[in-house]
Amino acid sequence: MPAASAIHTLIVDDQQSMRSLIRTSLQQIGFREFREAADGEAGLREMIGRPAHLVISDFNMPKLDGLGLLRAVRAHPPTAGAAFIMLTGRADRELVQRAVQFGVNNYLVKPFTVAQLKDKLEGVFGPLA
Amino acid sequence: MAVVAAPHRRINVGQGEHLVTDDPSVLLTTILGSCVAMCLRDPVAGVGGMNHFLLPEGEGDGAGAARRYGAYAMEVLVNDCLKAGGRRERLEAKLFGGGRMFDALRDVGQANADFAERFLRDEGIAHVGGSLRGLGGRRIQYWPVSGRAMQRPVADAMAATPAFRQPPPVVDAGALELF
Repeated sequence: MPAASAIHTLIVDDQQSMRSLIRTSLQQIGFREFREAADGEAGLREMIGRPAHLVISDFNMPKLDGLGLLRAVRAHPPTAGAAFIMLTGRADRELVQRAVQFGVNNYLVKPFTVAQLKDKLEGVFGPLA
Repeated sequence: MAVVAAPHRRINVGQGEHLVTDDPSVLLTTILGSCVAMCLRDPVAGVGGMNHFLLPEGEGDGAGAARRYGAYAMEVLVNDCLKAGGRRERLEAKLFGGGRMFDALRDVGQANADFAERFLRDEGIAHVGGSLRGLGGRRIQYWPVSGRAMQRPVADAMAATPAFRQPPPVVDAGALELF
């Protein structure tokens, strides 16, 4: 059973209030290690500089969107193994299918509850301690 | 020669809704009690819009329902402005509503107004005007391309304070099971 506190997470969203909300939600689940980026390009720089175990990324972002970030993370061997959860503003079958094609581990539709986020995380990591 | 004003295309923005346009003839209207409407535009791109939200009961911080729903209501308006050609650094907002209703035990309007102001501060979006708090309801007219806004009090304040309507359930991505 992995310890949530040992999972290093990169939160990527262009809205500061959403990043803060995700961070607070993760803290409630037991996560302790976070970094943040405000768009896909900045997220990719963070990942290349120091890979995280988990990326939680918005889809709609300037410069590089969530799908672009996902593709870039998967294409770069040191980051390719990171877990990747995509946040979307609406349930979009085509978007989810493309994300699956590019190797997303799970997705979550906003606005989400802490319990829903935990379910998605446990779908990737198994039960979290 | 008589000057004839261009006709408006009037669109009402109800609670839980938002709308973005680049059509200068569009006039967005709404009636607010304790709800708040954010009127947002990019004056350079000539796009703008309005949302209309009422936070569910709960704390506006932490990861409670109020903060989750509020952040989402704001995000969809901001994202649609950006998709329509707006740039985040040029966005400017007017906030209206958050009134204290005459029969309210709890000042829901205050919580809505506080949330909206904090959102603009957190996101670095210019707060260029509007009218928050006060007593009673108000009718808002907003021309999203020009940024012009008008407000007048609503006599029947109760008509402007609909009971909280839960945001529509988010439909999951059909039968697509991933994991």
